[in-house]
Amino acid sequence: MPDSNHRFKNDEQQPRQDQSADHDADDMKPEEREYHERFMREAINMAELALKSDETPVGCVFVKDGEIFGRGMNETNRTLNGTRHAEFVALAGILSKHPVSTLKETDLYVTVEPCVMCASMLRQYGIRAVYFGCWNERFGGTGGVLNIHSDPSVDPPYPVTGGIFREEAIMLLRKFYVQENDKAPEPKQKKTRELKTEILPMDIHAPKSTPTPPVPGLKKPPVPAASTA
Amino acid sequence: MGVDSAAQLVPLRTKDEVRASIETHVLYAVEIPARFANSVKDVIHEARPEFKPGEISHLRRVVQFKFLPPQLQKRFNPPARLQRGIRNSEEHEDDEQPPPAALFNPLPPSDDESCSDSDEESCAKSEDTVRFFLLCPTRCFKPAELVALLRKNPPFSTMNIHPKLLYVTVPALAPTSAEQANQWSEQYWPIAYKNTNPFGPHPSLVARNTAEIESEAGDWLALARTAAAETAELGVGEEVGCVVVDRSSGTGEVVAIAGDCRWRSPIGEAESHTGPGNVMAHAVQRAIAIVAKKRLLMAGKNPAFLDRTLFCDIPLTAAETAAYEKANIEPTGYLCVNLDIYLTHEPCVMCSMAILHSRFRRCIFGKRMPLTGGMTSDTAGNDANPGKGLQHGIFWRPSELNWKFLAWESPASAELSASVTDTLHV
Repeated sequence: MPDSNHRFKNDEQQPRQDQSADHDADDMKPEEREYHERFMREAINMAELALKSDETPVGCVFVKDGEIFGRGMNETNRTLNGTRHAEFVALAGILSKHPVSTLKETDLYVTVEPCVMCASMLRQYGIRAVYFGCWNERFGGTGGVLNIHSDPSVDPPYPVTGGIFREEAIMLLRKFYVQENDKAPEPKQKKTRELKTEILPMDIHAPKSTPTPPVPGLKKPPVPAASTA
Repeated sequence: MGVDSAAQLVPLRTKDEVRASIETHVLYAVEIPARFANSVKDVIHEARPEFKPGEISHLRRVVQFKFLPPQLQKRFNPPARLQRGIRNSEEHEDDEQPPPAALFNPLPPSDDESCSDSDEESCAKSEDTVRFFLLCPTRCFKPAELVALLRKNPPFSTMNIHPKLLYVTVPALAPTSAEQANQWSEQYWPIAYKNTNPFGPHPSLVARNTAEIESEAGDWLALARTAAAETAELGVGEEVGCVVVDRSSGTGEVVAIAGDCRWRSPIGEAESHTGPGNVMAHAVQRAIAIVAKKRLLMAGKNPAFLDRTLFCDIPLTAAETAAYEKANIEPTGYLCVNLDIYLTHEPCVMCSMAILHSRFRRCIFGKRMPLTGGMTSDTAGNDANPGKGLQHGIFWRPSELNWKFLAWESPASAELSASVTDTLHV
């Protein structure tokens, strides 16, 4: 890795990640879990707001010094822009008031694993850590499909923890996918689709390159929705 | 479009193509009479049902000596030849059983295998000539195990001879073009090319698309450089730019132009160039946002809906404004379906994925960015960083990502693209 021109060279760096640096919420201590769940609950609230707005239900909050200082939800459908993911929306608010360097002490809580695009953006900005709900098997960038948070890059890696309120995050997505996405071309008939409520337990807890096991009804939405995470 | 504007476009190799071009493994082979090929094949597959013959279906299973590549001909020379029972008994009448060497005798080096002449004996010899038969990858059996298995079955059992295992290094995956198949046949082992590319776009599809865009690509890349220079001039961005082109009607129509704006502050001023700047204002992000705004506008909606200053998606320069104000986009279109994007440099991982999310049709860039780029799959790098490359190959990973598109680089334009810092995320 080239590090001579590292833009964060003089700043405090995250410890170098190894495989075990990808965490699963199930391995957390109860008090630790409680702390993170408080913020993930707020992210879920944002995802619910997205669902009410006919957007893919993904929500996020950014947390610094134990306090929320930015919120976002997916806005891809209403803006006709497939890149308006919750993370972008939240950061557009935050960075209009705070310098980029603030993000080095900031953690992200997002209901669905950041996609490849957002995972790269977060790394370029120097986010401290990412916590997410369910894995994203279609284009997840922090373990679901690729490992943009820890692969070779000119930027320092960041740690990720998945699985916080995973079932709720999945249920929100399922609720969305049984609706029509009339923005997508050639919408297919979804009327006959049922909302499945059974969520299979995770039997593998190795997030790195090991996506969440296939969940019926979530894996391949037949209509190309603009985005999820 | 002027002739001298033609950019030489080089299609990017997909991640799987790169893998297919370098991955080899070792297979067992034996010499057997051609008529026993099927029975030996059955023996192998019965003993190892988990070995799928499809795995080596890109290789000719049964090959005559004369069709082997030169290096193997040298290694396996002289080829064995099956002797006729009569001659065996004549030559070895003193033995109870003929020794193995007598059954698979070398052909005389000068022997002509072809049947072109009318020499009957020559033709008979050709029929008897032993073939080289590919058994399976070496991982399937330990050598002794395989020898024992073959020994128990015809032709080795009936002729009472010991199989002699040969080791052949072959490409592990199928070739992706006829050229590659020919090259491999010369280098490794005769290849059965099925005129398909399982690891990327079909060569004819790539050729057709290259022909369609090649004559005008140079102009669009030049326009991207203009866009780059304009925002760089304002002090609000790196000298990086892109152009979105709609070619669905047969002629190229510029839909959006955007330069990089990472150094533009929330109040629109030029900022000091420290840290990553405004990552959301990379040229690609801005271009995609401008396309979306045009669609909203054309649909009679407010283009400023849910807009935020930091997205920097208002046209800033003369070129950007001119493209934005042209009402040349379908209001009913979906994201960037059927649109092409031309960039001065290889887009970073974030922007590569933004292009994928937006479902672009084709992506063409000038200069490779081996330390930050998300499109290339190989380790070629560029002049400044040879042998580098992140190898993400985001444009074509259909088994993992939910969209794919064609991508090219233009080495000629790369020389004209601004020399930005190696570590810059474009």
